[in-house]
Amino acid sequence: MREIEPAISARGVTKSFGRQRVLDSLTVDIPSGVTYCLLGPNGSGKTTFIRAIVRLLRLDGGEMSVLGRPVSEVDKIYSKIGYMTQHKALYPDLTVQENMEFYAGLYGLKKQQREARLEELLEMVDLSLHRSRLAGALSGGMYQRLSLACTLIHEPELLLLDEPTVGVDPRLRQTFWEYFNRLAGEGKTVLITTHLMDEAEKCRMVGYMRAGRMVAEGTPEEILHLAGLRPILKLWLAEPERDAAQLQAQGYEIEVEDGVVQVRLESHAQIKEVLTSVSPLDMRLAEPKLEEAFLRLSEAT
Amino acid sequence: MNRPAAGRVGVVALRVVRQLKRDRRTIGLIVFAPIVLMILFGYALSGDMSGVHLGLVDGGGHDALRAHLVSIQDFDILRLGSESDAERLISEGRLDGAAVLGPDGVRVLLDASSLQISGAIVAAVQAGTATERAGQETTGRTKGAESAFVSRYIFGYDLKMMDTVGPAILGLVVFFFTFINAAIAFIRERSQGTLEKFMVSPLSRVEMVSGYVLGFSLFTILQSATTLFVVTTLFGVPLRGSPLTAMAVVLLLGAGALVLGAFFSNFARSEFQVVQFIPLIITPQIVLCGIWWPLQSVPEFIRPFSYMLPLTYAAHALRAVMLKGAGVADILYPDLLALGIFFLIFFAAATLMLRREVA
Repeated sequence: MREIEPAISARGVTKSFGRQRVLDSLTVDIPSGVTYCLLGPNGSGKTTFIRAIVRLLRLDGGEMSVLGRPVSEVDKIYSKIGYMTQHKALYPDLTVQENMEFYAGLYGLKKQQREARLEELLEMVDLSLHRSRLAGALSGGMYQRLSLACTLIHEPELLLLDEPTVGVDPRLRQTFWEYFNRLAGEGKTVLITTHLMDEAEKCRMVGYMRAGRMVAEGTPEEILHLAGLRPILKLWLAEPERDAAQLQAQGYEIEVEDGVVQVRLESHAQIKEVLTSVSPLDMRLAEPKLEEAFLRLSEAT
Repeated sequence: MNRPAAGRVGVVALRVVRQLKRDRRTIGLIVFAPIVLMILFGYALSGDMSGVHLGLVDGGGHDALRAHLVSIQDFDILRLGSESDAERLISEGRLDGAAVLGPDGVRVLLDASSLQISGAIVAAVQAGTATERAGQETTGRTKGAESAFVSRYIFGYDLKMMDTVGPAILGLVVFFFTFINAAIAFIRERSQGTLEKFMVSPLSRVEMVSGYVLGFSLFTILQSATTLFVVTTLFGVPLRGSPLTAMAVVLLLGAGALVLGAFFSNFARSEFQVVQFIPLIITPQIVLCGIWWPLQSVPEFIRPFSYMLPLTYAAHALRAVMLKGAGVADILYPDLLALGIFFLIFFAAATLMLRREVA
């Protein structure tokens, strides 16, 4: 199988501001056609990395390519990139529709295409009823949604979204994620920074940054595995001690706590196997948290 | 409501002092701007003049008066063959005035669009004739008629102060508002993140600044049309040239003010700091551009600076168009050319300052 070229490839990328090293030999490949979540605490270098991708700052060292071009030529493919900053980049004294029309014009969208995109995106961000309102009069969440719509207006191949869901209510956040995953399904690459762990779990791939380095990278399952965290099946049994011994004999990792048997699973597929051996009165599956995984990995590094 | 308490007043005062202490630019402005402005005003209002272009038509006699005029270092004397030449050059704005010496007396031809210069010329001729009369008295020749002079306004005898200042104010108004608005607009582009987003779009820096020039120009047209209307109808300032020519001057000046504002927005972090540009950028232009007092009264060591300012050329061109009926060809050099060069220089500077990459 021919290997697909990553959308973004960074090799030993470094960047310092004064004495502070913000990107420290960062090496990462962001595959095409995935939602990739860049996680990390404040100051870990996430935004700096995104700004370096679009060449808003010059790297001190290392190599980077974006959509198959060296980063030095990224300005030639700006029409393929959608970049949403934390600042939202809107004109408060223009209406919702005027803001979107402005960005559509910037990317040279023809009238028919512009109108179609406008309708589609207004619906997606749930602002159809507010199209004539001044952006400055919108609530924080609505403003955020408009900013996202403006970023998506030209159907970019590569989306760079710096904290796109801040201030957005959970219902709409869900819609956003469905949309991002749909875009990825269409072959587009969506790189998102967030500090919300539950959002990271919705991404196909996750990268955890700390002090300008990539601490861990992979699918959410791979990260959990890497950190030694696995799902736990909690079983309430009529005879907990006997069943625990039986499962242990079958090779399962068992812990008994307050009469509840806890089975550490290798994969979700094992649930079925466990249930053929024992008949619990009640049970619950405790998924490991990415947050815990990253804490463990951070401590390990 | 609480009664005012000295303690709380003190807290606010302390905070203000602390903030200002850290804002070196404001402290610099508080201390140095008044000094610079006082120096500029002081020199400009000193009443001394130099570089007055005076035509001299020498029809014989009046040796003492001629010698006196030639001896005035602040006057650049241009000897002319006839009175009609003098009249023409004054009408074209190339001479500030002329003295016609002849056996039938002395005539002083003046341009009233600058009353200060006319005053200086009249005073000089007055002093010369007084010397002449004194000489005649000592030699016993007392033909008073030879010593007297008549002055005649070739141009602008009907002008009032507002007439001479009005055209220039038109330029000043447009320059002031365009500069401030443009600087604030670019500051906002930065603070609301739109500039950063432009940088990651197909929009080039030249396209962006050009778009601003075009957009603002529409408002400059509106602004200049309304100001022109007010100045001419309400204050009766004459408009002897084409209003379109006047608006073309204002438009070019406005474009220059816009790119200047865009350029200086790089040196301000907030709208507050844009306001601080007023004493630094706007006021020196008002003082030095020849609106309120002629450029001839600006001290010579500062005068080159006057000729670097766009308002100097715009004011001169607008006066020529409105008061003398000048056409585009008459103000092409140096006024429109200078305004064009100014625009191009700051267009390039503003564009180059919009850097994408941060080192």
